[in-house]
Formats: sequence, structure tokens, C-alpha cells
Amino acid sequence: MERNVITIRGLTKKYGNLVAVNNVDLEIRAGEVFSILGPNGAGKTTTVEILECIRKATSGEIEILGHDLMTGSKEIRRQIGVLPQEFNAFDLLTVRENIKFFAGMYDRRADVDELISLVDLEDKRDVCFKNLSGGLKQRVGIAISMVNDPRIVFLDEPTTGLDPGARREVWEVIRGLRAKGRTIILTTHYMEEAEVLSDRLAIMNNGKFIALGSPSEVIEDHGGGQICTILGGGLAAMHSLKDMGAELKDNDVMIQIRDKDDLVRIVTSLDHNDISYDEIILRRPSLEDVFLKLTGHTIEGGELID
Amino acid sequence: MTKRITTIFTGLARQFFRSPGSVFWTVAFPVILILIFGAIFDSGGFSSYDLYLQDLDGSDSSRDFIQKLRDTEVLNIHTVPADEDIDSFITSRSIENMLIIPAGFEKDLQSHTAGINLSLRQDGTSGTSMAVFTTINAVVQGYNLKLAGGENYILVTQHDIISEDLSYIDFFLPGIIGLMIMMIAVQSTVGYQTRFRNHGIFRKLATTPLTNAEWLIGMMLWMLVMVGISVATVMITGILVFNVTMSLDVTSLMIIIISTGLFTAIGIIISQFVKDEEVAGTAAGAVTFPMMFLAGSFFPLESMPGYLQSFAKVLPLTYVNNGLRDAMIYGNTVGALDNMLIIIVIALVVIITAVAISGWKKE
Ligand SMILES: Nc1ncnc2c1ncn2[C@@H]1O[C@H](COP(=O)(O)OP(=O)(O)O)[C@@H](O)[C@H]1O
Ligand SMILES: [Mg+2]
Repeated sequence: MERNVITIRGLTKKYGNLVAVNNVDLEIRAGEVFSILGPNGAGKTTTVEILECIRKATSGEIEILGHDLMTGSKEIRRQIGVLPQEFNAFDLLTVRENIKFFAGMYDRRADVDELISLVDLEDKRDVCFKNLSGGLKQRVGIAISMVNDPRIVFLDEPTTGLDPGARREVWEVIRGLRAKGRTIILTTHYMEEAEVLSDRLAIMNNGKFIALGSPSEVIEDHGGGQICTILGGGLAAMHSLKDMGAELKDNDVMIQIRDKDDLVRIVTSLDHNDISYDEIILRRPSLEDVFLKLTGHTIEGGELID
Repeated sequence: MTKRITTIFTGLARQFFRSPGSVFWTVAFPVILILIFGAIFDSGGFSSYDLYLQDLDGSDSSRDFIQKLRDTEVLNIHTVPADEDIDSFITSRSIENMLIIPAGFEKDLQSHTAGINLSLRQDGTSGTSMAVFTTINAVVQGYNLKLAGGENYILVTQHDIISEDLSYIDFFLPGIIGLMIMMIAVQSTVGYQTRFRNHGIFRKLATTPLTNAEWLIGMMLWMLVMVGISVATVMITGILVFNVTMSLDVTSLMIIIISTGLFTAIGIIISQFVKDEEVAGTAAGAVTFPMMFLAGSFFPLESMPGYLQSFAKVLPLTYVNNGLRDAMIYGNTVGALDNMLIIIVIALVVIITAVAISGWKKE
């Protein structure tokens, strides 16, 4: 039986005239990794920081672990762990000292050495924070978010700015937390990250959730059929398949398959018109395709681009 | 609660001892200041000096003598009523130079019979004493020449206001202590507040059970230890290098603690308006630097132009310096308590303002 650890109804946050979070409803289930995926300025941080009891909602009802956010924030604080966006621990304290420092804020504490091994930093425990690489710093941040042995962990863009290798290492750490039965709320603007890590996700844009569900549900609901790519098809292929909605990207042509016959039609048309190409690839649409379809944009480096 | 406060305290302490810059500013900097300024100012040398004068004769001759002293344009003469009790007047106002013209000055001057004894009471710790004595003596010698062809008819006898053998460095050390309190409290507070805010540490702490008050108490306690290290350094240097004797009594300790709170609050206010760490450091310098020179840390306020003296009256550091000098050197408890009262009032205003406009739990 899945149980909701967070229930949000009609959450809205306004900064003056700007509506940063617009009437959001959401349930988060115990033990899942839930991602909020969206570009910079979508409202991700605002949403999670309201749940973390450090920003006040303009309106809406929120219940976390059975406590109303308005009245139970003290109890909620004890049971959640947070890695804020762009968090940097104390530069001149070592990994171990930093974790101990934040553990010292709580009455109930996790074992510091266990946390160090959880984020795989045993050989760096006595290194000053400022001397760590970006990926290691984020792993220290995740350990710090676990110092009170929390039931829910909020990770706000834990992999932003990391190189792909370091990002994958952070993913491993997050998987480790999930295996320990924590509920994890993750924000990110990396499509792939949300797709591989999440049990469920919400795509957020302009303060609204525009899609919600497991990655495959979201893709199924909004991604449409498979995508056929004709590598090296060029302008000629694009023109001959224009009425099927073909689009040219670099020298490749992409067509979304709507029914079974589409594929036959494509091959026949190419053959008929004697169009040369390198290869035909069929693939499932990705979250990127979903996002493009829903917003008309893609995300690169966190920013929306056309 | 105490667990969280000690965690903050030890966390800040560890970082301090790992940062050579902080240790330098707290320990080496005051030592260098004392050595340099001690060497420069020990020789004295200001353009105009305050002289308090009590005329017990009140005759034309004594007024004429006072006018001659004025004509030197070196002395700023303040007359003290003849019925004032000199001893309590000197201690309560921390007077450095006091000249007393005895009753019968005119009579003795005209009769040429008895020698005249002018009594000059001076604070030996002040860099001004030598110059004031020399100036008065020059005027007196002029009289002697005219009256008796060079015979020492009028005599100036010097009496130390303070019995111990003190020098300028004793005046200077409390100023350095005041200065260090201000520098440490303002600079460290601004540094902590901006750095920890920009690094997301406050945002993280806001999600823990830690309260704003616990943070401030932990930081304040650590600040007091830094101030303590600095005060100890100043005193040890004074004792070892200049052989001074100075006392840390309850009043001076209170002044040190309260002013640490005052300057911490000023630091919090500055960091509330300037978010960038480096800009905030500059802003802190812009506040502390003028105060360091205008509040009488290095030289007596009396040696500054009048408009700067009035300006000094609105600077909190002025009262810290005066209070510490009264308590640690002049043994003027009343004056020290007066200054402490002013510091308490300023501290209350500043701390309430700081608490009202700050708080890291705000968005
Ligand atoms: N404290 C604030 N005051 C005013 N506007 C804000 C504040 N915080 C965020 N915003 C605005 O709200 C929107 C959402 O911001 P944010 O929640 O940080 O988005 P994200 O985390 O998805 O990048 C942005 O347009 C941002 O400029
Ligand atoms: Mg954000």
C-alpha cells in the first residue's frame, strides 16, 4: 500500500505581481523519488522551499507526514532533510566536521561515519571542504541533508554544474538513499536525470505542473508515438515526407509515427523518390520530446531555448 | 539549545584558527599598531594643548599672567571657578593639565618678598604634559627676567595627577583595545553574515531546529573570545614591551562585553544592506576606518579641530575609548560608568534595530 507523505492542494505563491507557483496540486508517496523537472525560473525552488518551511505560501493547503504546514512546522523540520540549491558547506571545516556541525543542530542524529560511507567519502573525511571537487562537495551536501535521519529528503538541483561523470556518481548516492526507504524530492533541469532516477515526476513551467506521472506515463500521455529518424535524409527526404509532419534537424529528418502504416508509407515514399539516406532509426520519445511538444522549447543549461 | 550553541561556537573557532588572515588581524595587527604608534607618539607633539586653570587670586596681575599664557597661542585655556574642589574636578573630568595660581599672587609679585609657587598638576601618561610644562615655564621665565633680572622668582612646581609613573603608551593601550573590539566585531560579523548567506548555509540552517537567537548567541560568544584574545595580546605586549601597569576591573570588562554586542549589531545591519561578500567588507571598512581615527583611538580628541570633536560625540567608539581609559588608567570610576551608560543606550538602540531588520529565516 502506498501512502502519501506530502499532500498539496491549490498551492500558489506570488512575489508581487509575479505568480511563481500557480495553483499546484500534488501528492507524494512514501519511498518514491519524485522529480520536479523544469527550466530556470519555473518555480521549482519556490515550491520545495515552501515545503521546507522556509518560505510562506500565498495560498493553498499542505500536509507533510500528517502535520499541517501552518501549525506543525516544528515537527516537520525534525523529519525532513534539505540540500538547498547552490549549497556550500563551511570551506575551512573538513568533510567530517561539516557533517558533525549540521548534525549538532538536531536532537536525533544519524551516525556521522555511516553517512560518510553512504556518500562514499571515506578517504576524504579529513579533507577541508574547499579542497573538494564540485561532485564531492554535492555528496557532502547530501550527507548533510541526512544528518537527522530524515524521512523525506529535498535535493534542490544537486547535480547542476557537474560534469557527466560526477553527475552519475551523485545519481548512485540518490539511489542509495532510495534503497534505504527515504522519500526523495528532487529538482532538476536535466531531462535524462529525471527520466532515469524518478519513480514519478512533474514537468514544471511558468509556475504550473504541465505533466505528471511516472516517466513512461508522461511520455505515453504527452510524447505521442515512436519517433522515426532518417539519418542523412536531408532536404529531399524532408520534402517528400512533408505531409506527414517531417522536420529537418541538421541533416536528419524526424517524423512522429501516428499509426502502424506510417512506417510503411515512409519507406515507400523514400524508395519511390529514390532518396538516399544512411539509416532509419525508430525510438521511443523522450522527456525532451514531451517538453518540446508541451512548451515548444527545449532546455539547455537550464535555460529555455526555441 | 546549549548543544546547538556550542556547535556553532566550536565551528566558528575551528575556522578562525585555520584562517591565517583572521589570526593576523586579531593578534599580530594590534601588536604592530602598539609598537609603531607607541614609538611615534611617545615623544608627544601636538599643536595646541588644553590647560585648565584655577585663579585663586582673581587680580589684575593674575589676569595679565593668564593673558600672556594665552598669547603663546599654544595653550587652550579653560578657567575653573575658584571655589571648585580641584581633586574631584580632575578625576571626574579626566583632566590632563591643571595650573593653579595661588591667592596672594599679585601681592607677592609687587612686594618682591616671598617667592611665588605656581602649582601645575599633570597627567604623566599624556603626550601633552611636557609641552604644556615647557610653554608655561617659558612665560614664567619672561616674568622672572623682567622682575628680578633672571632670578627664579616665580616657580612652577609639577605634580603628577596620577601617582604612578605612567607614559603615553598607557593612554594609547585602551584606545587599541577599543579599536580591536570594533574591528573584530564589525568585520567578522559582516564576513560571517554575508558568506554564510551566499553559501546557502543560512538557508540550510533555517530548515533545522536552530533558532535565530541561538545563532546570534553562539556567534556572540565566539566574538567575545576573539576580542578576549586580542585584549590579552594588547595587554601582554604593553606589559612586556612598555612595562605598563593596567587593570581590568569589572567596569572595563562590562564595557568590553557590551561594546562587542554593539559592534556585532552594527555588523549585522551593514550585512543586511550589502549582500555581496567583498562589497560588504569594504562597507565595513568604510564604517570602521573613519571611526578609528575620529574617536580618539590614537591621540586625544582635544588635539582635533572643534568640528571633528563634535562629530566624535556621535561615534560609539568615542565612548568606548573614554570609558576604557577612565576605568583602566585614570581610575575614574564615575567617568567610566557615565561612558558605559552611554554605550548601553547606543547598544540597545543598535541591537534592537539589528534584530528588527535581520533574521536569516526571512526570504
Ligand atoms: N525572493 C524572491 N522575490 C521575488 N521573486 C522571486 C523570488 N524568488 C524567486 N523569484 C522568482 O520566482 C520565479 C521562480 O523562481 P524559482 O522558484 O527560483 O525557480 P527555479 O527554482 O525553478 O529556477 C522566478 O521568476 C524568480 O525570479
Ligand atoms: Mg531553483
